[in-house]
Amino acid sequence: MKNILKLALATTMLMPAAALAQDAVEVTLWHMEQPPHRVARVQELIDAFNAANPGIVVKQEPQNWGEVYAKTPAALAAGQGPDMLFAIPDFTPILKDIGALTSVEDFVKELDEKHDFVDSTVEAYSYDGGVWAVPLYNMAMNLWYRKSVLEAAGVEVPTTWDEWRAAAEKLSVDGVSGMGLPANKQLYTDQTVYSVMVNGGATEIYNEDGTLRFDNPETVGAYEFYTDLHQFSPADSTSWTWGEAEACFSSQTCAMVMQFSVIATYDTQAEGDASDLGVAAIPSKDGGEHNTISYANAVMLLSTDEAKMEASKKFVSFLLEPENYGRFLNMEPGLFMPVTADGAEAETFWSDPMVEKYREQIETVIENSQNGRLFGFTSGRTFPSIAAISAQNIIAETLQSIVVSGQSAAEAVAAGQARMEEVAQ
Amino acid sequence: MPQSKALAFALVAPALLFLAATLGWPLVQAVQLSLQDVRVIGAPGNFVGLDNYERVLANPAFWSAARLSLVWVVANAVLQTALALAVALVLNEKFPGVRIARTWVILTWIVPTVVVVVIWRWLFSTSGGMINPLLIQAGIVERPVGFFATPWTALATLVFINSWRWFPFIALMMLAGLTRIPDELYEAARIDGASPWQRFRRITWPLLAPTLGVLAVIGTLLSFNVFDIIWLLTSGGPAGGSRTLPVLIYETAFKGYRLSEAATISVLATLMLMAFAIVATRALDRSDDR
Repeated sequence: MKNILKLALATTMLMPAAALAQDAVEVTLWHMEQPPHRVARVQELIDAFNAANPGIVVKQEPQNWGEVYAKTPAALAAGQGPDMLFAIPDFTPILKDIGALTSVEDFVKELDEKHDFVDSTVEAYSYDGGVWAVPLYNMAMNLWYRKSVLEAAGVEVPTTWDEWRAAAEKLSVDGVSGMGLPANKQLYTDQTVYSVMVNGGATEIYNEDGTLRFDNPETVGAYEFYTDLHQFSPADSTSWTWGEAEACFSSQTCAMVMQFSVIATYDTQAEGDASDLGVAAIPSKDGGEHNTISYANAVMLLSTDEAKMEASKKFVSFLLEPENYGRFLNMEPGLFMPVTADGAEAETFWSDPMVEKYREQIETVIENSQNGRLFGFTSGRTFPSIAAISAQNIIAETLQSIVVSGQSAAEAVAAGQARMEEVAQ
Repeated sequence: MPQSKALAFALVAPALLFLAATLGWPLVQAVQLSLQDVRVIGAPGNFVGLDNYERVLANPAFWSAARLSLVWVVANAVLQTALALAVALVLNEKFPGVRIARTWVILTWIVPTVVVVVIWRWLFSTSGGMINPLLIQAGIVERPVGFFATPWTALATLVFINSWRWFPFIALMMLAGLTRIPDELYEAARIDGASPWQRFRRITWPLLAPTLGVLAVIGTLLSFNVFDIIWLLTSGGPAGGSRTLPVLIYETAFKGYRLSEAATISVLATLMLMAFAIVATRALDRSDDR
């Protein structure tokens, strides 16, 4: 009898919660931050949001970058797609093209007034008269080195291409590669090559009318310089992804590398001496303004249901509040940089032990990211073909034609433009 | 229809239906897709007839991938057969610990592909890898070698890794074939004064040939379809030097967003494999008849 009473009591207590859950608006978030500690941090924030918003239930479903481009259109077609989906800029034209995206321009404007977005992060998602995603975090390419290694070699931190080459040559001694540069047909190489291109006056790959202008003297010059610098890289750098470059730097086999961040590996797998870790802007051709590639990761809002769309917006607003935003960015301390002015000052961001330790480096990275650019998303005129150009790594493929197949930079860049035109059809 | 025949059909029917659902239907879908112009999964497509076939057959990348697939299959077949035969012959002998050796030899085959890739990537790396320092210490090379740096070294390294992974499976199949050869034949040959080489050439090889034939067909089909190791180690590079047909299909569908074109390459690859399977099976039948 006692047990029956207990059961009845428990059922009565649970009923309101069950009824509430039934009425709650359920929204699904797909993101590609798969490492368990990142998933756990996102879940902490979701739990806090769900607790503060009883009428909304946010669920996360981590995805894989390798699959999500193919999986999302299929899931949306089957009515099983997410309500919110993390993205990098070249992902948005694909979904916009199949009519799965609506502009969030007004929502971004509202958030901008409150938090002040870094302009370049919004620019990457602004084209065709709309804004197609809300920027969430930024990653910008930088030049990493050890101060002690440069000092021992009597090398100054390079600011021009000539200084960069001279430094790489001087640092290439005793089995050490002066400059770790990838030449794989892979996204990392796209990123490092474009980082050189934007510092050599080859930022734009499209003309205003949508025709390609990849084949131009500035691009050829950038490829010539990159190829010249690549001779100071390890022999297997034609198969490198980000991990190999970080390993090369951590093991002191590479004196300098281009990378978004090496903080986590340097801290856990190398010396971890914050005072010796140097970071600088990517050198420019003649010492002028330093630019870099930057990836403003963002969230696309996909729901066609008004209640779900409002719930999604509420969740995104919650994430960008400074008291939550720092915790969100520090799901991977030292890698994800703020895209808002108040986020860059958030106590929750700077209080993380790793961020505190490498504060000097992170401040430099944030400063460098202000001049961030992304190929195909630089002028407010983005053309759908950029998705295929980016996905097929044609910028990296062009480099391989020079480094591996021995073509001249001019031939390879001309062939690269032809390939871009082919995939753009 | 005689009752026994009807029963036979009834018993086979579930398997045939299962095959039709899991193989036939996707194949029909692939053919259908290859006649349209679908770019992304879920996007609508128009009927374009044989346009995709024309485009694919005129594309040098298709023929380059087909050539590389052929090189890949032949190189794997040669290396795997050589390694597997050597190991199977050793394991067919009687020596202390042979049972343990027969169990442990399969280890490389049961290790997950991702682990295999991580192990070999690290071993071949110039930053902390083991192989380069050994080669330098042995005086074979002066500077670290980039095993995945050029098209041919990358392909050769991939063949080596794939063969390393698959040869134990083939060795065990061969061992099964070897254990079926009666000991009496070897004893009689020994009494007649046949040397080890003569025993291998006159007894082992001819009696193992049917097993080798079947393995050649299965091995070719399995090798042809290998995608994971290639993609994870080189993504088909450098400069397309290891872009076999499965890699090209994946690239075309999921990087180039040309789903129909990828389906066309899949259909052509299936036709190639079917033609090979038919010819090889008939050849095996003829050799069995002899």
